[in-house]
Amino acid sequence: MPSQSPLHAAHERLGARFTDFGGWEMPLQYEGTLAEHRAVRTRCGVFDVSHLGRFRLAGPDAHGLVSRLLCNDIDRIEPGRAQYTMLLDDGGGVVDDIIVWWLEDADFLVLPNAGNSDEIVERFRSAAPMGTRVEDRRSETALIAVQGPDSAAILDQAVGVHPSRFRVEAGEGPSPMIAAGTGYTGERGAEIVIESGHAEAVFSRVVEAGARPCGLGARDTLRLEMGYPLWGQDLDRETTPLEAGLDWVVGWDHDFVGRDALARQRDEGLRKRLVGFALEDRRVPRHGYPLRAGPAAGSVSSGNFSPTLEVGIGMGYLAPDPGENVDSVEVAIRGEWIAAPRVNPPFIGH
Amino acid sequence: MNVPEDRRYTDQHEWGLVEDGKLRIGITDYAQDALGDVVFVDLPAVGNHVDAGSTVAEVESTKSLAEVYAPVSGTVANVNSALTSTPELINRDPYGEGWFLIIEMDDPSQVEGLLDAAGYKALIT
Repeated sequence: MPSQSPLHAAHERLGARFTDFGGWEMPLQYEGTLAEHRAVRTRCGVFDVSHLGRFRLAGPDAHGLVSRLLCNDIDRIEPGRAQYTMLLDDGGGVVDDIIVWWLEDADFLVLPNAGNSDEIVERFRSAAPMGTRVEDRRSETALIAVQGPDSAAILDQAVGVHPSRFRVEAGEGPSPMIAAGTGYTGERGAEIVIESGHAEAVFSRVVEAGARPCGLGARDTLRLEMGYPLWGQDLDRETTPLEAGLDWVVGWDHDFVGRDALARQRDEGLRKRLVGFALEDRRVPRHGYPLRAGPAAGSVSSGNFSPTLEVGIGMGYLAPDPGENVDSVEVAIRGEWIAAPRVNPPFIGH
Repeated sequence: MNVPEDRRYTDQHEWGLVEDGKLRIGITDYAQDALGDVVFVDLPAVGNHVDAGSTVAEVESTKSLAEVYAPVSGTVANVNSALTSTPELINRDPYGEGWFLIIEMDDPSQVEGLLDAAGYKALIT
């Protein structure tokens, strides 16, 4: 049986169509992915992302654990801020990409991907010394994302708080919540953790304030237009953050799991490299389609139709590393090789 | 789901409407709903010959790729070129403006082998 969000009944009443994602039955779309995508780009949408992991890490060694286990440097930020980071294995491969909310000095909320949550919780538990607690909060809370140019006004009206980019704030008003100015769409907005008992009320207030309910279909086309990676497609244990073009996520000034392997790769060169591309028509490149550029070959890791550009866009890995100078790739769509200009994501101007 | 009485259907969710001895073809309301937002359609060239049951067009949605099969054998007499720039016509009006192509049938009696509206309705409910 797949897990269900505390908002499942609300989605059913809104006519959602569901899909399985990381063992969770979540809305794929309500009325349609394109309309939902455009609502987020032009006004505001609300997503239920309760499938994402979230656990509280608190105690004297909480900061030390975040610093040692995760590859971004937590000391680049301060309490009251959120950071995108990753847990790597000893070889530098991406075990998961993660958002960390630094609540207070020794108190963090860690948000791994849905399907990796149990493993990440276990990693932190086994590394945590006595007195530092790891509390999985997934079964007692919901997580929603309110995203779009109108999100600040809608958040003010519905929940009384609109954290600015990467800021973390506790919500005011009748429903206990924590909000961070994060998301996966490229638009302004917030992700909000709410106690399950209050989730429907908060979700309804956000919808009544003007946010359109949006499913994971739109979330995927929105993140792809920004070039944001999806773990399991664009990132996995066979891939390092350097190969994924995410050098900025690596905090070289501190020690972390996988650092030695990454440092070696930085010196010796990449095995493969992520490239983005945009087609010149509406054809749709999809995950797994063959990709090539001269002697370099690979496959599409993520691809879809860009509702903003109205062409197919995608990204994928090429090996050996084609370098920075390749300005065009070819993608095989249903057996036909089609030339596509290389585009360094984001694909849209933001 | 809307299933008009005036035409025939396949178990692969295409419809065919006989007009002046030719067969106008599209996909059903059920099919467009299952596909989600259509973003691209690959149509055959006019003059191509197709066999019943073979792929005659391809449809890409934000969710997936689907093939459209020829309900009968014949020659492609016309295609709906409006779908190239506005594939959303398929979602908006699957039985009308969202038509795909017209086939000049090799053997018009092949239509008799297709499902009627009642038969198709039974298949999707």
